[in-house]
Amino acid sequence: MAALIAKEFAQIGRDKRLRISLIVPPVLQLLLFGFALNATVDNLRLGIVDFDRSPESRDLIAAMTQSGAFKSAGAYASAEKLGEDISRGKVDAGIVLPVGLSRDLHRGQQADVQVLLNAMNANTAAIAQGYTEGVLGTWNQVKLKSGELHARFSQIGSAPRNLRGIAALHPAFLFNPGLVSSWFVVTGTFGLLLTLNGSLVASAAMVKEREAGTVEQLLMTPAGTGEIIVAKIAPLFLLLCGMVLFATALIKVVFQIPFRGNLLIVFLGAALCVLCGIAIGTFLATFTRTARQAQLMSFFVNPPLSSLSGALTPVEAMPHWMQPLTLVNPIRHFGVITRAALLKGSGLDILWPNILALAGITLVLLVLSVWRFRKQLG
Amino acid sequence: MTPPASQTDNPVSIHVSELRKSYGAVEAVRGINFEVRQGEIFGLIGPDGAGKTTTFQILAGVMEATSGTATIYNRAARAARQQTGYLTQTFSLYPDLTVAENIRYVGDLRLIPHAEIDERGSRYLKMFDIDRFTDRLAGRLSGGMKQKLALACALVAQPQVLLLDEPTTGVDPVSRREFWDTLAHLALDGLTILVATPYLDEAERCHRVALMYEGTIHQTGTPSELRRSLGAKRLEVHTSALGEAEDALSGHHEGILDVQRFGDRLDVMVPEPVAGQQQVELLLGAAGIPIDNIRVDEPALENTFVAKLRAIGRVVKSPKYPGQHPHRDLMGQVAIGASSLTRHFGAFTAVRDVSVDVKYGEIYGLLGANGAGKTTTIKMLCGLIEPSTGRMELAGERGSLRSRTVRQKLGYMSQKFSLYDDLTVGENLNFFGGVYGLSREEIETKKHWVLEFAGLEGKEAALTASLPGGWKQRVAFGAAIMHEPSVLFLDEPTSGVDPLARRAFWRMINQLADMGTAILVTTHYLEEAEQCNRLGFMVAGSIVAEGTPGGVKRAQTGHLIETVASEPQRAADLLRTEGERWRISLFGDRIHNVTDGDAETSMRETRATLAAAGIAVLEAREIPWSLEDVFISVVEKAKREERLAA
Repeated sequence: MAALIAKEFAQIGRDKRLRISLIVPPVLQLLLFGFALNATVDNLRLGIVDFDRSPESRDLIAAMTQSGAFKSAGAYASAEKLGEDISRGKVDAGIVLPVGLSRDLHRGQQADVQVLLNAMNANTAAIAQGYTEGVLGTWNQVKLKSGELHARFSQIGSAPRNLRGIAALHPAFLFNPGLVSSWFVVTGTFGLLLTLNGSLVASAAMVKEREAGTVEQLLMTPAGTGEIIVAKIAPLFLLLCGMVLFATALIKVVFQIPFRGNLLIVFLGAALCVLCGIAIGTFLATFTRTARQAQLMSFFVNPPLSSLSGALTPVEAMPHWMQPLTLVNPIRHFGVITRAALLKGSGLDILWPNILALAGITLVLLVLSVWRFRKQLG
Repeated sequence: MTPPASQTDNPVSIHVSELRKSYGAVEAVRGINFEVRQGEIFGLIGPDGAGKTTTFQILAGVMEATSGTATIYNRAARAARQQTGYLTQTFSLYPDLTVAENIRYVGDLRLIPHAEIDERGSRYLKMFDIDRFTDRLAGRLSGGMKQKLALACALVAQPQVLLLDEPTTGVDPVSRREFWDTLAHLALDGLTILVATPYLDEAERCHRVALMYEGTIHQTGTPSELRRSLGAKRLEVHTSALGEAEDALSGHHEGILDVQRFGDRLDVMVPEPVAGQQQVELLLGAAGIPIDNIRVDEPALENTFVAKLRAIGRVVKSPKYPGQHPHRDLMGQVAIGASSLTRHFGAFTAVRDVSVDVKYGEIYGLLGANGAGKTTTIKMLCGLIEPSTGRMELAGERGSLRSRTVRQKLGYMSQKFSLYDDLTVGENLNFFGGVYGLSREEIETKKHWVLEFAGLEGKEAALTASLPGGWKQRVAFGAAIMHEPSVLFLDEPTSGVDPLARRAFWRMINQLADMGTAILVTTHYLEEAEQCNRLGFMVAGSIVAEGTPGGVKRAQTGHLIETVASEPQRAADLLRTEGERWRISLFGDRIHNVTDGDAETSMRETRATLAAAGIAVLEAREIPWSLEDVFISVVEKAKREERLAA
């Protein structure tokens, strides 16, 4: 057994690709997903048409451009001019403050503000709309408190193909205007990373022995199949646990995610997640003969695993019938555990169902993969 | 054999002069010179790392020489690429294309008109007897057929020169013989063939050979010239006490050049047969060892090769195995006892009713063509797979062959490479020592021994992947016996190992057997099979013949006739049309004919047949069976009987 483990470590030690795959993907995925998959849209160019030219209108413009979501792209004389520049793509959005804005506000009447959005990118437009609503909501609140002002917000969205139309918007109250958190993405990516990277590394390691043709030689030694499996899994597990620590540090330092809860709960979840990854990798490896085949196999398994995880997109955004599927996905449970433990500071009393589920899934996967592996060896 | 007289007048086809090639500080080829004439088969013989492959690559135009010239029909090798066909050890076939598609593809690459590709393709496939398989995927062909297809692909471009770099590694004897028959045929049609091989029985079939070692050619000549240059005779000494006799004759005795042990005899090289025989009788008599019989014969090419390599200072050590737990007390008991093993894979019966008994201290050789069921049999014998029916006894155990105690007693060296390439030599040995539960000190002792045996002292930290095949093979063998197994399975242990190293291997194997180890070995090389105590020949999943090397030869009912004719190729082709194809094989200018009837009658008939076609028979005589002739005869007869039964 000692000889088996020593051999695995020596092999891992010499495997440059494996070592790289324990460091580069965590860094790359966390940083890329954390920054690039960020739903926050910054510095949208905002064209301004201020017909009112009152302190209130200036105040509203300031509120818009100070949120960080918009930056001023200059003032326009007419809404038509602004519309043209939007269709040319010179500005991303426009705001039209009508004459009588301040008058209406002071009278306690509803004031209409028109917002023009380039909806070529529907997503950006929707986000910009959200920001605007948020900014207006906050502004209203402040004004309401101080001077009973109330502005209503209306919008001209230019639909795809630049068809301009007017859509009436319902006022929405958004907490935290101008900020969509990368915390959601990063905590989700953490789980993806552990499971998917774990499965890739494991399948490569498992298939290697067969690819090199050394498995028969191994089977002729007195080493038992159980010992062989444990000797294969244990070093990988330890290494991947190292990756957990590394990724945790990265999350803390780069994204400054608050660690409000017990870190041990996160580590427990992470260890289970890593085991799941190893089990999935081992299981896949038993169906393949070469490392390349194993990687191709994981192309089939990984996308559903990640898209049904709730790691990058909310589970609630999936069709209803699909949502129960996420319950058997270890990444989903790990996501819940990390988010709750780190951001909300939840403890075992709340998270035990997820931990239990994760442990259950891990156990089933491990048993399944060990059974397949043994069967193949024997 | 001497090249046909006409050949010496043929134009020079390959000309190599002062050729050198360095890779950084390593000089792979150190100024070699040779010439090959049109229609000649020229063999490059030498151990691993001699510079053969580099020479081939330069001649094929895929690599530039550091200095010197290599020309093909007076054009620089690189410029003459269209005229050369180059076959590497790994055939570059497309496994997902059919035989016909592979040929078509190669032809298309060379812009040969389709009609011509098809014509040439079908001609060569027919010549190689694989025209039945044109629609089969190349990946589904056997090793021998793949090799013939690769050759056909190379020939479609109608090269004038064929470069073959160890083309028969891992190919079974039947296919190898057919392959060499084909080469002889092609050479007579005017194709020039340069071939590298680690097997000296193949070298015998070349017109001329060059012995290459460490980048230098040390000797060039026809096989018979080389044999004569040794100035020695070979005595086949038959005795019941081989080990003791070997010890008594080894060492530095006057008049004895070399002693080599085979399965049921010793080969003793002596400068002069009469005095040599007396010397052997004297020495063995003094040691009290009875001699059954001594036969005088010509030396084999292998003897020359070994003598030459020794003369230029190459040593392959076979240090004494530091075994502490000899199994001598088990000697004579059954170690591997298999009765009526049968194994089905689905509807296919891979092994049918095989019974094998191997005793402690015995070396048993399992021979067979590719696909004969050898690997399945060896896996059943060592407990890796269960027989469908039949009973097994292994190392005294009848019940669970997969138990830890049984496996502790077994040693196994698989055909596929059995070391970890990504570990160093030392780590590999530590691992195998450790996994068998050896103590630290024991591992160190054994490691020291393996490194000495492999010639890798001080190179413990070398990465296994960086070692040439022959070295790896020796480390793998060492690793397999570190734990002093009492039963040892060796699946093609010497594939790709050069003759000198192969000798060291067999000296070790004999040492282990003398200690009481039971050894089961498979091989494709019949010169090597001579070293086994007993042999089993497998055909289509059954053992069809069994006995000592001498015994199976004696058991042959037919005769082997060697005929030298004026037009050997036409004569061979003619004789083949008369009888079964396998009975005739061409060794340069000599034709071997296996006949079941009376030798004299057969010779008379051959003379008559050839005379009718205007071919003169220069010489005809009955010659002793070689193991290869026996093997092919046994295999073909068994196949015929099977066909009759079906």
